[in-house]
Amino acid sequence: MILLEVNNQCVVETLIPRIESVRQDPNSKPDSVDIKVADFDGAIYHISNPGQDRFVIWVSISLKFFKELEDHGAHDLLKARYGNYLLDTTEPGYNVTLCYRLTDLPDNYKELVMQASMLKRNCFACVFEKYFNLQAAGGDAEQRAVIHYRDDETLYVEALPDRVTVIFSVVFRDPDDIIVGKVFLQEFVESRRDFNQAPQVLYSHKNPPSSIAGTDALVADNVAYVTFVLFPRHTSPEARDKTIDLVHMFRNYLHYHIKCSKVYIHMRMRAKTNEFLSILNRARPSYANEQKEKKTMSGRTFRRD
Amino acid sequence: MAGRLPAVVIDNGTGYSKMGYAGNSEPQFIMPSCIGIKEAAKVGTKESRRLGTGLDDLNFYIGDEALTVASSYATKWPIRHGQVDDWDLMERFYEQAIFKYLRAEPEDHYFLLTEPPLNTPENREYTAEIMFETFNVPGLYIAVQAVLALAASWTTRPEGERTLTGVVIDSGDGVTHVIPVADGYVIGSCIQHIPIAGRDITFFIQQLLREREVGIPPDMSMDTAKAIKERYCYVCPDIAKEFNKYDAESSKWIKTYTSINPINNVPFTVDVGYERFLAPEIFFHPEFANPDFQTPLSEAVDNVIQACPIDNRRGLYKNIVLSGGSSMFKDLGKRLQRDIKRASDSRLKAVEAFSGQKPTPIEVNVFSHAKQRYAVWFGGSLVASTNEFYSVSHTKEQYLEYGASICRHNPVFGAMT
Repeated sequence: MILLEVNNQCVVETLIPRIESVRQDPNSKPDSVDIKVADFDGAIYHISNPGQDRFVIWVSISLKFFKELEDHGAHDLLKARYGNYLLDTTEPGYNVTLCYRLTDLPDNYKELVMQASMLKRNCFACVFEKYFNLQAAGGDAEQRAVIHYRDDETLYVEALPDRVTVIFSVVFRDPDDIIVGKVFLQEFVESRRDFNQAPQVLYSHKNPPSSIAGTDALVADNVAYVTFVLFPRHTSPEARDKTIDLVHMFRNYLHYHIKCSKVYIHMRMRAKTNEFLSILNRARPSYANEQKEKKTMSGRTFRRD
Repeated sequence: MAGRLPAVVIDNGTGYSKMGYAGNSEPQFIMPSCIGIKEAAKVGTKESRRLGTGLDDLNFYIGDEALTVASSYATKWPIRHGQVDDWDLMERFYEQAIFKYLRAEPEDHYFLLTEPPLNTPENREYTAEIMFETFNVPGLYIAVQAVLALAASWTTRPEGERTLTGVVIDSGDGVTHVIPVADGYVIGSCIQHIPIAGRDITFFIQQLLREREVGIPPDMSMDTAKAIKERYCYVCPDIAKEFNKYDAESSKWIKTYTSINPINNVPFTVDVGYERFLAPEIFFHPEFANPDFQTPLSEAVDNVIQACPIDNRRGLYKNIVLSGGSSMFKDLGKRLQRDIKRASDSRLKAVEAFSGQKPTPIEVNVFSHAKQRYAVWFGGSLVASTNEFYSVSHTKEQYLEYGASICRHNPVFGAMT
């Protein structure tokens, strides 16, 4: 697995069997549900039956930075995506609530479930959609979206007439991660050169890039900034969804690969250790000259001199 | 507590891994503990053959997906007899379990992992190294499965009776364990393994069906037996009476099982008769299935308790807990309770006859509850959602300060002390 999946598997696996059981036999009672699962970036999904009604399922999400997303028109985009499934009054403690009545779902329910499992992605999408549109309309260098998508990490989106720049600040909590992450990101920047279609990637360690210098951007040893420069071919309506899928997962993608690299290093270490051990074992003196009783197949013993 | 993301609970068993977030009543993912990898055909140790080049180390699948791609990948089972056998593969298993299935950023969540009783301290250190070094988890707790199974039974119990003393009868697919636990510590010397478990019951049903039913397609034989076991079997108080009941009113007791042959899509039906109560009976008459093993489950439990230190025995009799998929038969708990009670009463009677004094009667309780099938995971979910969990877990800071050896000991908590 190189890319992380965009949707939440757990939401799919919870909804599909219940929908299918009702579709097969409308009189059967689906299993009740009340689960709370986490997702990347501190998102929490809550899937439940409101008021013990097993035929209605609520899928709610809570995001710490939803307020900031709302400023960028999250509500309109979600309304467009989910239509009537989006509830106007959300479940207390959550930011968005989707409501599915199992008895009246259209035949393309798999598509609906897929959309429900991408709720977090669609929340994120509003910022990007807004700025992609802004860029198409000529850009506005004055406006910059700042999303504090984690407690200490920030996402900046900026639209210029010819491009959209997305800047991530990434904080490494472990000193080893700084090094692995740095090598990985440098490699990332390098290998991009082989692909002309790919957006430009810039990487800077410690200091924020000049475009966001002077804001509240952190300057520290364990901070890195990654800048993506998205050109109109990435932000065109056809390519847009794919771009959003990939860009909004970037931070988790990076951390996933840091972990994978460490796992690979450990694998190599284990392989090398075994190799060295076998060399050491070869060096062990063999006691060939020792007088040792040997046994034949029939059970008689003899000594070899 | 507010604002903290739920802890991740992972219970890796030999056959299946149960994974999910604390606070839920069922694991979110239940998948075979296997991993499908590409192995190069070259000379060398298995570790060096696996290394590959480029992105090969990311090219693998876990769980059900590993089984579907089994034709082009080598399927490996990194856990043997409950203990992790191959750390290389286990590390990659966790990698995908966390990022692909649970979708958790491991740096944000505390982790609760489980271990079998009698796991070695070295294994705990390896686990700690992987979790803290590779995944940078903020906190880790490694709990003994049997203790979690005891904790899982708390939900059915009033507040004051929540103890961590008891006997856990853990019956899975391959083997059944009887594990005595005193105040959260496993009495290792008294653990009993019984070679009668789910698979033997399935085989037994399969055998009966093979002799009697002709309509079952050979490919489906095992699946049919398994489905019948899960759907219709129950434990009866007395076999002879049960036989009479069936003979008198066969229409009421004999069920029919219908299924479809996947090859030609032709439905077939099977009558389900005596095997409904005969199959689970092999717990009490193991000689039906395994001629080498003759001790009934109830007697085995009694023997285990009798082997334990004398101060604990009353507590152990009072709290016998079932766990695992093969303990789901209806009335298994009732029958066990009756048989164990009988054995202990007859012992007390002998004591009375011998000494002339009336001993205090011994209370025998066998508890079954709704969460029995995934009792270990559920117990983990229960304890990991308490505040106490966060105070007893080993943290990353402690790990960096003292090293992996801190995870050799995981303090017991949550008991009503």
